[in-house]
Amino acid sequence: MIPNDRYQRHSLIDWFSQDDVRGARIGVVGAGAVGNEVLKCLALLGVGALDIFDLDRVEVHNLTRSVLFRESDIGRNKAECAAERVRELDPSIAVTAHVGDFFRVLDFDRLQDYAAIICCVDNFEARIRLNLICKLWRVNFINTGVDSRNAVVDTFPFALNPEAGCYECALPPSVYQRLSQRYSCGGLKRIAFVEKRIPTTVITASLAGSLAASRALRLGPGAPDQNAGRIFVDSITGSSTRTELPQRADCPVCSQLKAPVRIARVDRLQAALENLADAEVTLPEPLILSFKCKSCGRGDGHDTPLFWRASDHDSRLTDCAGCGAEGAVDIEIKDRIPAQTLALIGDRPLPLPFVATGSETGTRVFVLRWES
Amino acid sequence: MADVKFIVRTADQTRKAEVEMDRTSIGSDIIQAAVDNWALPADTDYALVNVTTGKSLVPMQLLDENFVKPGDVLEVQPVLVAGGW
Ligand SMILES: [Zn+2]
Repeated sequence: MIPNDRYQRHSLIDWFSQDDVRGARIGVVGAGAVGNEVLKCLALLGVGALDIFDLDRVEVHNLTRSVLFRESDIGRNKAECAAERVRELDPSIAVTAHVGDFFRVLDFDRLQDYAAIICCVDNFEARIRLNLICKLWRVNFINTGVDSRNAVVDTFPFALNPEAGCYECALPPSVYQRLSQRYSCGGLKRIAFVEKRIPTTVITASLAGSLAASRALRLGPGAPDQNAGRIFVDSITGSSTRTELPQRADCPVCSQLKAPVRIARVDRLQAALENLADAEVTLPEPLILSFKCKSCGRGDGHDTPLFWRASDHDSRLTDCAGCGAEGAVDIEIKDRIPAQTLALIGDRPLPLPFVATGSETGTRVFVLRWES
Repeated sequence: MADVKFIVRTADQTRKAEVEMDRTSIGSDIIQAAVDNWALPADTDYALVNVTTGKSLVPMQLLDENFVKPGDVLEVQPVLVAGGW
């Protein structure tokens, strides 16, 4: 095969620039049903580079919606498996599999290399975290979602327009109420909570995947639309709506972390926090600061905060390890804390990749060296 | 404050009604009314878009003239959360 002939049909399309597509590096977070379709499209289009993030393994029921997976792949990591298939589709694509939670394995120094990051996950928490990262680093963010009938693709062109509405601007309050039900009163994941899972088919996944791939490749300089927008498609009737997603004044992200954003890598967080006085610091993930048993008084973290990642614990932490009283332990969990409190971290490592602090004049992001 | 008359429909367009609401109502009120009156699944989250103007309505948005004009069509869309599973 003559490699140059591979894209010959594309070259006949007057508005299609193979060079632009080849020049793009795209991050795909989640290699499930929608992720498979996104990767299939980007691979066949001949994109330059793909970074695929997933922590899950292929299961037998994925095979009805995952064009890149085979029965012999059951048990393999989805990102690695998808990366291998992308290489088969087009060996000239620089594809890398990142195994693990994207939050732990993202290279924060290379985020701005991405033409876009496409979010193909199945929960609100991951979308909220990825939105925050893309907003702060000014990386174009494409969110996807499906159910058994509909597909949605949201475009947040943060690289073009830092004032564009963000994913949380468009999130109804009922989502936060639903998220809080998933957690016990202290903010820890409920051990017995069974999450509702929404079944889907490849029809909606492929609609979302192809639209997301198309949007991701059309956000270069001079893109006609610099506002955030949502495409909603009904796969049964074929009807679709396209709406603008404006910035919301009380958005928890946009109201706190305003542009311009200055990003600095810091070795010692304590030193970086010194001149911030009483500024509030936004943590990208909630941390446990302290706990105390109402029954026996056993506790920790009241003099020096613990700074434990809440996601490493669940509601069993509310059962006292001292006196055995069930649900008696009060736990202090925060995702925003004063700079002075955070400065009590001293020389201990903070279990987060970054923290941010915003004011009316802009936002500062401190990227930390950390061990996941 | 004056009332405004507009159309509300579901995303699949099987439900559609002309409604009249006070301009001091907010987007969430319309969603709640649609969920209640049409028995939409209560375990789903919904967003509201004005398909006539092509703008989404944020939850606390008042139905003032800038966002809803008489006769506009407002669509209640489910917030889609699946993707990887
Ligand atoms: Zn926002």
